[in-house]
Amino acid sequence: MYNNLGNQAGPTGMQGPTGNPQPSPFGNAFYGAGSGLIRGGLGAYGERFLGSSSEFMQSNISKYFSNPQYYFQVNDQYVRNKLKVILFPFLHRGHWTRITEPVGGRLSYKPPIFDINAPDLYIPFMAFATYIILAGFSFGLEGKFTPEALSIQFTRGLAGWFMQVLLLKGLLYSLGGVEAPLLDMVAYGGYTFTGLSLTMLARLCWSSSYYVVMVSTSFLMGVFLLKTMKRVLFTEMRSYEKHSSRQHYLLLFMVIAQFPLFWWLGKIRAG
Amino acid sequence: MAKEFSVPPVVFPSSAGNPNVPHQRRPPGAAPMPPFQPPRPSNSGPANPSIPFMSFDIGSTPASSSFSAPVFASSSGGGGSLSVSGSFEDEPPLLEELGINTRQIWRKTLSILNPLRVNANLHEDGDLSGPFLFLMAFGLFQLLAGKFHFGIILGWVIVAALFLYVVFNMLAGRNGNLDLYRCVSLVGYCMLPMVIFSALSLFVPHGGVVIFTMAAAFVLWSTRVCTALLVELASCGDEHRGLIAYACLLVYMLFSLLIIF
Repeated sequence: MYNNLGNQAGPTGMQGPTGNPQPSPFGNAFYGAGSGLIRGGLGAYGERFLGSSSEFMQSNISKYFSNPQYYFQVNDQYVRNKLKVILFPFLHRGHWTRITEPVGGRLSYKPPIFDINAPDLYIPFMAFATYIILAGFSFGLEGKFTPEALSIQFTRGLAGWFMQVLLLKGLLYSLGGVEAPLLDMVAYGGYTFTGLSLTMLARLCWSSSYYVVMVSTSFLMGVFLLKTMKRVLFTEMRSYEKHSSRQHYLLLFMVIAQFPLFWWLGKIRAG
Repeated sequence: MAKEFSVPPVVFPSSAGNPNVPHQRRPPGAAPMPPFQPPRPSNSGPANPSIPFMSFDIGSTPASSSFSAPVFASSSGGGGSLSVSGSFEDEPPLLEELGINTRQIWRKTLSILNPLRVNANLHEDGDLSGPFLFLMAFGLFQLLAGKFHFGIILGWVIVAALFLYVVFNMLAGRNGNLDLYRCVSLVGYCMLPMVIFSALSLFVPHGGVVIFTMAAAFVLWSTRVCTALLVELASCGDEHRGLIAYACLLVYMLFSLLIIF
């Protein structure tokens, strides 16, 4: 859908899939869909700072940041259903694959409004902010609230997000160089903050429920990531490499790594 | 030393001299001038009879052109500074010069006070002086509570406005036309209920139920006004009203944290 608008002029008019090194389907949609933010912000900076090498920068930007606007096409209903899927992945009755549509000769995935399995960036951002605010409340109710503590918790949350993204990306690379857009992994990594926010809310309401809720949410998040990464791997990998035991061990490691990550992010320390 | 001496009429060598340098001159007949460089007419030598005490010279450099230009500017309309060249009456007033429209600020403030009905036309053009006043008042009330939060408030407002700007423009897609200036202006104006809350929280016991319920009420007020304004002012926000409302809620809960704890 957004690929169809690739003829709208980006700042230097560089369009199309030529020279796009990444087999991702929506790498070339970056310029077409630009909201004012993208067109004005990144495009202007590309011209201003790099001048004649803006083509280089734009092609590299599209390699790393495939059209962030795709991830924000959400609506109320999608958000509600996706939260149910993230927090209770066992209840998801349907399949986990994303719907593709052929657009302009390339296969691209449908945006999140149409497809419950598509990743989005709205929920991770809001969940991260909710986590920070709940951490602030936790600090305050213990009497240890200072704005600096909140900033430190913010940084810690960002580090946790980054580690989660590294874990997912590392998993993909070690299992055969599967190409998936970075923002997808950022989105999947950010979904952990929904479970984390739920944990912190539970702790605020009734402090002895903390460990139970934390263990269960981290387990459920592990399951969600497991199913998602399995789908990502299966759609991109060659058939003779499926069902390898190395793959299974790495996925299991990913699930188990959720527990210490959740525990670390949930710790509210005054320091 | 109340030694009065006649102040000569100032003749500037080039009227396009240096309009950016503000100058201060006292009206004639005022108290004696502090010692700074008085003007020199361009054709004077060191022994100008109308300025008797002036006797320095800077060696062999020509007298006037080296220091009359940078010290005294021609009568540019520097707001508030007196100029002697008689165009004082033509200068616009200070607040108008600075773009502070106090009547508009007052009207905008009054419109925020009604949480149920929002008048979006007033907020069409953003301005930062109303928010600046609100943030100063917020900081002052926090100071009365013993917390020195001025810098933190400023930083958090900027971060919150950036957050709302990004989220709104991404959600609205191609047609989102919220610009950052207006976003900061809106976030700042909708801070008014939080300012009122911080004033009222001075009288309420710390940590009780009352302050939490008050916080809930004022945060909801702020959120409602901010969402309504955002959705009406910038296009294509309407189908994402709930999503934007949640983002605004997060922003104002952040500030309520500062007030409660």
